Amino acid sequence: MAAASWICLLLPLASAITISAGGTSLSRRVAGYISTATTMGAFVAAVVAFVDMAGKSASHRGAATTSWTWLSAGPYHFGLTLLTDQLSIVMMLIVTGVSSLIIAYSIGYMDGEDEERRFFAYMSVFVFSMLLLVQGGNLLLLLAGWGMVGLSSYLLIGYYQERESAIQAAKKAFVMNAFGDATMALALFLLIQHTGKLDYAGVFAASPHGGAVANLIALGLLGGALAKSAQIPLHTWLPDAMEGPTPVSALIHAATMVTAGVYLIARCHPLFENAYVIADLAAGLGAATLLMAGLIALVQTDIKRVIAYSTMSQIGYMFVGAGLGAYPNAMFHLMTHAFFKALLFLAAGIAIHAIVGEQDIRKLAGIGKLMPFTKWVFLVGSLALVGIFPFAGFFSKDAIISAALDRGWYGDVIYVACLAGAFLTGVYAFRLFFIVFTGEPSAFAREHFHSHHGQEGPISMLWTVGALGALSVVGGLIQFAPVWHLLSTWLDPVAAPIAEPTNTQEWITSALAILIGLAGMGVAWAIYGSKRVKAPRSLTLFEKKFYWDELYDLIWYRSGDLLARGLYVLVEAPLIGGSITAVTGIVGVGSRELSVAQNGLVRSYALALAGGLAVLAVVFLAVR
Amino acid sequence: MHGPDIQWDVVLSALLFATGALGVMLRRNPLIILLSVEIMLNSANLLLIAMSRLHGGEDGQIFAISVMAVAASEVVVGLGLIVALGRRNVELDVDKLRTLRG
Amino acid sequence: MANFLVWVVWLVAAFACLASALAVVSFSNPFYSALALIGNLAALAVLYLLLSGEFVAAGQVLVYGGAVMVMFLFVIAYLGDRTDESPWSGGPSWQVVGAILAGGAILAEICVVVGLKAGGLLSKPQHIGRSFGSPEALGRAFLTDHLLAFEVTSIVLLVAAVGGVVLGSHARLESH
Repeated sequence: MAAASWICLLLPLASAITISAGGTSLSRRVAGYISTATTMGAFVAAVVAFVDMAGKSASHRGAATTSWTWLSAGPYHFGLTLLTDQLSIVMMLIVTGVSSLIIAYSIGYMDGEDEERRFFAYMSVFVFSMLLLVQGGNLLLLLAGWGMVGLSSYLLIGYYQERESAIQAAKKAFVMNAFGDATMALALFLLIQHTGKLDYAGVFAASPHGGAVANLIALGLLGGALAKSAQIPLHTWLPDAMEGPTPVSALIHAATMVTAGVYLIARCHPLFENAYVIADLAAGLGAATLLMAGLIALVQTDIKRVIAYSTMSQIGYMFVGAGLGAYPNAMFHLMTHAFFKALLFLAAGIAIHAIVGEQDIRKLAGIGKLMPFTKWVFLVGSLALVGIFPFAGFFSKDAIISAALDRGWYGDVIYVACLAGAFLTGVYAFRLFFIVFTGEPSAFAREHFHSHHGQEGPISMLWTVGALGALSVVGGLIQFAPVWHLLSTWLDPVAAPIAEPTNTQEWITSALAILIGLAGMGVAWAIYGSKRVKAPRSLTLFEKKFYWDELYDLIWYRSGDLLARGLYVLVEAPLIGGSITAVTGIVGVGSRELSVAQNGLVRSYALALAGGLAVLAVVFLAVR
Repeated sequence: MHGPDIQWDVVLSALLFATGALGVMLRRNPLIILLSVEIMLNSANLLLIAMSRLHGGEDGQIFAISVMAVAASEVVVGLGLIVALGRRNVELDVDKLRTLRG
Repeated sequence: MANFLVWVVWLVAAFACLASALAVVSFSNPFYSALALIGNLAALAVLYLLLSGEFVAAGQVLVYGGAVMVMFLFVIAYLGDRTDESPWSGGPSWQVVGAILAGGAILAEICVVVGLKAGGLLSKPQHIGRSFGSPEALGRAFLTDHLLAFEVTSIVLLVAAVGGVVLGSHARLESH
């Protein structure tokens, strides 16, 4: 099992190095094949490790292997440790499985792009970083993987290097993530100071229970999680990140990277349980985000942005679950969300690819008639998103919502918010579906649609989307909380939940959620599907994304700009520039004044001699 | 035979030296400057002779004779220079001779 | 009586010395300045005699007065009349003031230094023998204790003679 874990981790790295070293001697297609093959190989290795693990008894499943001591300073020793336990194997399977499908999809999607080899190298780097993050056996490796996924995200968002907007978006994503990295690093400093260790077992045993320090540690970790998972207040980078190619949006900003925050909370849950205020804060922020994102998604006109806000909203659900302590439910939703969100993105990608890269839904209206396969898979994804039985989202989302009932009045507030969010999900998801995939094709769509050898897209795109569709249908069946719970049992030794709803609560919540979701779908059908009701005028508040960008611009950019300008005028120009000018001025003036003594007159020189003699005589007199 | 004490000679020597220095610094004709330098050298000689008398040894007088020889040599060279200048019809004004200006 | 005579001689000689020095510096005609310097040299010779430096006094008159000043007078005569109309003017504005200050400072310092360092010794000259300052004594000193000075001085004279010839010959070449 240890060998399988190491192979799983290192295969994508080998792919990245090979593609980079091969350079232009590899053809573009070969680069894509290398990347896909290694990621699939990593998936196979993860499956091997899983099978091996499943054969052991529950308490013996975790295994940590250290290859060498990486950092040794004084009493602190940090090794290159890989931890393969129940939680990390779940993440490994999800990451490698979904990544291999998406990378296979990109062989078709990115065909003919400017520099595909770079793309595939970056994707492999990303997979490696994500695996390092989830397999890391101590917080230091997690932080290393954390930073590297941020780097991969930056590289891939800015993949279209000539586009100004892409570069700005990449910078924005990186800076906000760096902020989160900083708070995480501070939390690690506190941990080292108070426990002297960073490996999970040591930290969980020795960290303080309650009090200011525990709160600060949890807050620092939460800051990193918020930045990576795009929750309020560090969420503004995610919609802009849609500047990257669609497979990037699918992989990084839907299925894997943005869920790293949830993984972090689940992994470090003892630290959050020691600081329940911060855990409640996480849940509250998740609830606020899911509502806000849902409202904004109602008015977006770019197909990828709608799906991006949907991602933000669904991760809000996961944060609610993790913050309240229902870790297995949060991880379950993470898994199903990976399936159907990747499906939605990739299906949208087929449409975008077929219609010259257009992403505006008004222009894409009605292409369902021209692309039936895409229409059906998108419908599957949307149903899974809204959480309709028996699609995947139903099982996972309702489990989280019902867990909120186990936490007193605060949980009840969150419960209501989650149900409202379910309504919004139904509205915006089916608004998108009805506008884009039903009705008559728009003139633009008809004019620019071109099929790919008679099919809707290259074969690599079609089969991967199909596979994800199948997973979205059956993926939820591994756990149906009131009746059978394989995932919870599996994760129990590592992440035992502290919020468990009763069976009755589960049934009631599921029923409510389905009804509310259907109500949302109905509203969307009435407005956009059958066009019986006119759409209400959209609020500027939603269109301006609740003015978060403007707020941050004011706080960070304008104040910084003002400060910089002020310093320039007050300090730099007069003092620093002035001092240098003054030095040259003094030298110039001084030389000019002194040069008067060099007048060439013998008599003046004689005077100088006499004067010097007079002075020297006094000096000698004084000294001796 | 008594006469004035040695300090009178010292003061006289100082006065002569100052006079010679003033002449060097304030006259423009190089011939006069050379003459003023001679005055200064002579004042030094006077001081040397006086001190030799004070200490009762001939060393001061030896030194004075050497000074006289050196002064003579210096006058030779200096006058040679002035004659060379005069032959070229250069105006004998130290203020005009300033090509070594800084 | 003898004391009184010595005082008188000394005062007259000193006065002549100073007056001629001032005359050298003040005359605008260099010929007159050279003549004043000859007077200065004569007065100094008298002072040397009073200080028992007979050989030096003789040497002063012969060498300085007979050779150096003659050379000066020849050159001045050769160069013609170059009387300055305004001998004291010219130069930078600070020259006069600076010169007077520097001269005064040097004057004061010499007096002060020698006075301070000498203590009361200046009033007590050593007792000297009859042969002090005689040619025999000086010659002996030159050829025994101060042989190096003697030789170096002769080299300096040789160099000066060569220099004079070179400077003169240069002129002769130029005039062709």
